[in-house]
Amino acid sequence: MAFYTLGLTFNLVIVLTVIVLGIWAYGIYFNFKKWGLGSTGYHDQLRNSFWLFLATWIHEAFKDGVWVFLRTAILDVLLLRRTLARSPVRWVMHMSMFYGFLMLAALSGLGLMLDIIEHFNLIGLAHQAEIVKEALSLPFDLFGYLLLIGTIIALSRRILLKFVRDNTTAYDAFLIGAVFLITITGFYAEWMRGNAFLLGNAFEYPIYAPHFALIHTVLALGLFCFVLPWSKYIHVIATPMTLLANRGGE
Amino acid sequence: MADQKGSKPLMTGYMMSTQLMEVDGCNRCQECMKWCPTFAVRQDRPGITPMYKNAKWRELMAKSQSLRAKIFGPKPLNDDEMKQFTEDTYSCTTCGVCGTVCEAGIRTVELWEAMRPNLVKRGDGPMGKQSFFPKLLKSDRNPYQAKQEDRLCWVPKDIKIQESGELFYFAGCTAAYRQQALGVATVRILDNLGADFAMLGKDEWCCASALVRTGQREIMAEHAVHNVDALKDRGAKNVLFACAGCLRNAAVDWPMWYEGYIPYETMPLSVFLREKIRKGEVEYKIPLNYRFTYHDPCHNGRHLMHLKGKDWAFEAARDCIQSIPGVKFQDMVRNRALQRCCGAGGGVKAGIPDLAMDCAKARVQDATDIQAEVIASTCPFCRLNLIDGRNSAQSPIKMVDVVEMMAASMGLDTTIPENPYTKFQSQDVLVCSPAECKLDTVERKEPGKDLVGEAH
Repeated sequence: MAFYTLGLTFNLVIVLTVIVLGIWAYGIYFNFKKWGLGSTGYHDQLRNSFWLFLATWIHEAFKDGVWVFLRTAILDVLLLRRTLARSPVRWVMHMSMFYGFLMLAALSGLGLMLDIIEHFNLIGLAHQAEIVKEALSLPFDLFGYLLLIGTIIALSRRILLKFVRDNTTAYDAFLIGAVFLITITGFYAEWMRGNAFLLGNAFEYPIYAPHFALIHTVLALGLFCFVLPWSKYIHVIATPMTLLANRGGE
Repeated sequence: MADQKGSKPLMTGYMMSTQLMEVDGCNRCQECMKWCPTFAVRQDRPGITPMYKNAKWRELMAKSQSLRAKIFGPKPLNDDEMKQFTEDTYSCTTCGVCGTVCEAGIRTVELWEAMRPNLVKRGDGPMGKQSFFPKLLKSDRNPYQAKQEDRLCWVPKDIKIQESGELFYFAGCTAAYRQQALGVATVRILDNLGADFAMLGKDEWCCASALVRTGQREIMAEHAVHNVDALKDRGAKNVLFACAGCLRNAAVDWPMWYEGYIPYETMPLSVFLREKIRKGEVEYKIPLNYRFTYHDPCHNGRHLMHLKGKDWAFEAARDCIQSIPGVKFQDMVRNRALQRCCGAGGGVKAGIPDLAMDCAKARVQDATDIQAEVIASTCPFCRLNLIDGRNSAQSPIKMVDVVEMMAASMGLDTTIPENPYTKFQSQDVLVCSPAECKLDTVERKEPGKDLVGEAH
C-alpha cells in the first residue's frame, strides 16, 4: 500500500528526515553545551565547554572501570533496577514504555532503510526488502501493544492515584498525553490498513490509512525533534547518562 | 541594589557539568516526595522537595540559557522568585534519602550542596544565622566561641592522652564544649580497653561541616588542610569519630580539599568498639533495662554507606547496642538507608529552626510508635535536635549516645570534671549505681554564647 500521500514523495521524506535528525542533533548539542557551563570537578575552575562536558561525563562514567560501567548499563539503564527497587508497577510501566519506544524507533529506522533499498533497488534487493518490510508488521504490532500497556499504566496512575494526580503538572500531562496520542494514532493507522494483529480488518479503511499514518509520523517526529531536546523531556537522554555518570547512584 | 542582583544570571560555577545534567535527569517520578522529611512536615510547600527544586532550577537557568534566551535575549531573574527558591533550597537537611530512592540515580546531597554556593555567590544565600558560621570559624575555629586551649578541658585527670600516635580520637566541637558526657565516655572506654590513643587538643579545628552544608566554602580549605596536616604530622593511621558529622566531613569532604596523600583511615567509633566486643575485650557489669531504638544519623549512614559499606554505616552501632545486657532493642519503621532525618542537618537548625523542630518531633513520634523508651544514636547533633523535639512534644522519651550506653554498662565513671563549659551542658545521661543505671536529664544552667548551633 502506498505510504506517501498529500504530495509527499520519497525524496521529500528523505530530506525531511535529515532535517528532523539535524534539529534533534542540534538540540542534543545545545544541551551538552548548557551542561558544559558547570565545572569539570569539585571546586574546579569553569571551562564552559561542550567538549569538556563530554570529557567530564566520560571520566565520571568510567571512574570505577569498564566493568562497573557495563554493570550499570545493564542493571540500571537497561533493566531499570532502581525503579524496580521502589515500585514494581512503575517498573512495568517504564519497561513497557522504554522498550516499546526503543524498539518502535529501531524498527522505524530499519523500515526507512528498507524503503531506501527498495526505492533504489540497491544491489538488486528491492524484492527482498519488500518481503522483510511485510515481516516487520508483527514486531511493530507487538512493541506497539507493549508501549500501549505502558502508557495506559502511566495515564491510570496520574488519574487514579491522588498523590500522583495532585503533583502532576502541565508538563507531565503534556508528555504522557502526547505519548498516548502517538501510540493511539499509530495503532489506528495500522488498523486502517487492515490485517492488524488481533483485530484483522475490523477497522480497515485503506483510502485514509496513509493520511492517518502521516499524522502519526508527524506527531512522533515532532515530539522527537521539536519537544524532546528543548524541554524537560530531555530526561529521556539525561537520566541514562546520569545513571552511568553516577555508576548507578550507588 | 535589588535591580543589580536581579540582573545577575543564575550562577552555575560551583556545579559540576555532570550535576547540571543531573538536574535535567529528574524524571518526575515523585518518589523523593514520599520520603522527604521536611516535606513530611511542610505538606503545603512542595517547592522544598527535590523534584520541584530541580524543576525550578531548570526554569531559572532557562531564563538565560534556553534557546529562547539565545535568540531573544535573557530574561532577568525575579527577586521574589529567587528568594523563594533560596528558601526552598535551604529548607533541606541534605539527609540524602531522596538520592537513595531516586530512580535516576541523582546524587542529591552533592547536588544541593553544589547549588547553595551559587546562591551564596549571587547574594541570595545563606539563611538566617547560617551567615555567622564563616565568621565564627575564622575567629575561633569552632562555632561555640569557645577557646581552642580548652579543647581537652573535660578530660578526666587520670586519663592519659597522647600527643601523637597511630590511633587518634577526633572529638569534634560539640563533644568538647556542649556534650562533654560523650567525650568523657569515649576516652573512658578507650582507656579501659587499653587503647593507646592521641588527640589533637588545641590543634583540632572544627570539621567545618557547617560551611560545606550551607554553601559557604570560603574558609573550608583552611580547616580541612589544617586538620589533615595536624593528623598526618602526628603520625595518625586510624582516626576514630564519635560524631557522625565530623566523620562525614573527614571521610568525604576533607579529601576533596586536600591535595596530598592522606595516610590514615577514618572510622566510626562504633566499628572500633564492635571489634573489641567481638574479641571479648569489653566487659559489661550493669544491665540497661530499657527499651531502646536506634536513630541512624544521615552522615554516618546514608552518606557513608557507599564509601564504607552498609555494615559500617548501619550495623556496627546496632551490634554495639545489642551487646549490652538488659537492652530490649527494636528498630523504628524507617531505619537504615530509608531512615527519617532528625531535621538538624544541612544548616536547617541554624537557618530555619522551626522546621528542624518539626522534623525532630516527627522522628520522636516514630520512636514513640514502637513504644521505645530511649533513642540511641551516634551523632551529638541529632541528639541535640531530638532532645529539642522531645521537649517541644513533651514526650518522656530519652536520647543517649551509644558510647555512653556502653560506658555506663561497663561501670565506668563518666563524671565530667568541672570546667568552664560545665554550665552549658544539656543532655540526657545514664546515672549508674553498682546494680543499675537510671536515665536522667541534665539541664543547662546558663545559655552560653551559642549564636548558632553547629550545623552538620
